[in-house]
Amino acid sequence: MFDQPLPRWLGWAADPDQLRRTPFLASSPLFTGLPRRLLARLATRFFEKMYHPEEVVFEEGDPGRALFVVVEGAVEITRATAQGPYVLNTLGPGDAFGELALIDDFPRSATARVVTPGRLLILYKSDFDALIEGNARIAVVVMRNLSRRLALYARRSPVIATQPGSETAGPL
Amino acid sequence: MSPGRLLAWGGLAALVWLARGLLLPIFLAAALAYLLSPAVAWADALAIRRSVAVGALFAAIVAVLVGGGFLLGPGMLAEGGALMDRLPALARQIDVGLDAVVRELAETAPALRRLLPEGGAWVQRFVLNRGPGEPGDLFEHVGHLFLIAILVPFFAFFLLRDMHRIIAVAMDRLPPQHVETSVAVWRELNGVIGRYIRGVVLDGLVVGALAALGLWASRVPYPLLLGAFAGLANVVPFVGPLLSAAAAGLVVVLTPGQGLAGVGRVVLLFLVIKVLDDTIIQPFTIGRSVHLHPALLLGSVVVGSHAAGVLGMIVAVPVATVLQETVRLLLEHRRVLARRRRPPERLVV
Repeated sequence: MFDQPLPRWLGWAADPDQLRRTPFLASSPLFTGLPRRLLARLATRFFEKMYHPEEVVFEEGDPGRALFVVVEGAVEITRATAQGPYVLNTLGPGDAFGELALIDDFPRSATARVVTPGRLLILYKSDFDALIEGNARIAVVVMRNLSRRLALYARRSPVIATQPGSETAGPL
Repeated sequence: MSPGRLLAWGGLAALVWLARGLLLPIFLAAALAYLLSPAVAWADALAIRRSVAVGALFAAIVAVLVGGGFLLGPGMLAEGGALMDRLPALARQIDVGLDAVVRELAETAPALRRLLPEGGAWVQRFVLNRGPGEPGDLFEHVGHLFLIAILVPFFAFFLLRDMHRIIAVAMDRLPPQHVETSVAVWRELNGVIGRYIRGVVLDGLVVGALAALGLWASRVPYPLLLGAFAGLANVVPFVGPLLSAAAAGLVVVLTPGQGLAGVGRVVLLFLVIKVLDDTIIQPFTIGRSVHLHPALLLGSVVVGSHAAGVLGMIVAVPVATVLQETVRLLLEHRRVLARRRRPPERLVV
């Protein structure tokens, strides 16, 4: 009974942010396959922050502690090269980045910069860990989706990439 | 730092100093908010508006308290009044009981005679020295307690309702490149404190129930009252269990026919509860939230006691844990930054 959203007559008591956030996360490839009940729990752990153009979300080499999901705007993923920053990818609404922070504590492998005014959802590793302690299914589904992304990335770049032009945007 | 900013910080420090009397209610309100936060998180997942969820939660708490007050209030007030009236006589009785125990100990082990205290009326002296002073003092104490009883739920309500908005505002004010690390550190500390407070309360409930049950089985009078005291005192590490065992021992001394054997049973009961608490109950309740070394734990309690009395002893463990976690996170941050020099191994398939 508690898995159902509020009935219509209780609409006045509904939280519009949460109502918007849950289906939005369901559309993100990283959270595909999560049932609504778990998505709703996961959605409560996200923070939302506004970003202005040219603001840096994180820099290459920074400690990774959170996953980001683009709600609005565009985020450019770049890597420093001898010739200057090389754009690996430009992400839009629904795209997630920084997801490797949920797995290990290696420094960020690229820089994320907001290019148009936008909002990002932020999920901290400690909150994700606390959530999956009681809900192993969240961990299984998210890690499976993440493994698929990693596999896709590995197939795209099967050898060590050294030239900027041969690199593709993978998990950060 | 600019003069304007310096002035602002000075003004803030002065404001905090002036409002230092609010620190205790704010601390208790934060503890209450941490305790209730899982219920609010559950309501969040159901997409219930924060104000509605927190309002309903407090309405339910008020209903339970009012119901409990109607059921138990008159009896507790009557018992409290009777206890105050009987206090001098009770102190005399305790002194007589203590004298009897001292005599029994001296007869059982004559070698201890020289170590045992002489004289008596210790409790009477204690009670008379701490009796109610001027009526004005009494009103001040009652007024202070009333203020705390009003302010704690008031602050807790707004902390639970608005904390996510305060965090959102703070995150928007932070420089974007610092948001990830600074908020991550805060989230980790927040998790540790929350788990610790909820764990301590659950631990106190279990210990209190075990003590009440054990005292009832040992035929010690007032098992519920002593069990409740054991649960509350359990918040203070080391000292709390000792205090609750001493209170139960005192009641046994006052009870005719229990004697030294009764005191021994109570000591054994509290020892068993302590061992069970350390080995089974705490790992389930407090779990991995606190990793303080026993020496550091004891040291923090002593320092807390010197700094702020009983309140200091209660907050010592969470404060020491927060400091330890902060240092750990800063060291980890340095370690991760040191990895910048080494490129991560590339995935080769």
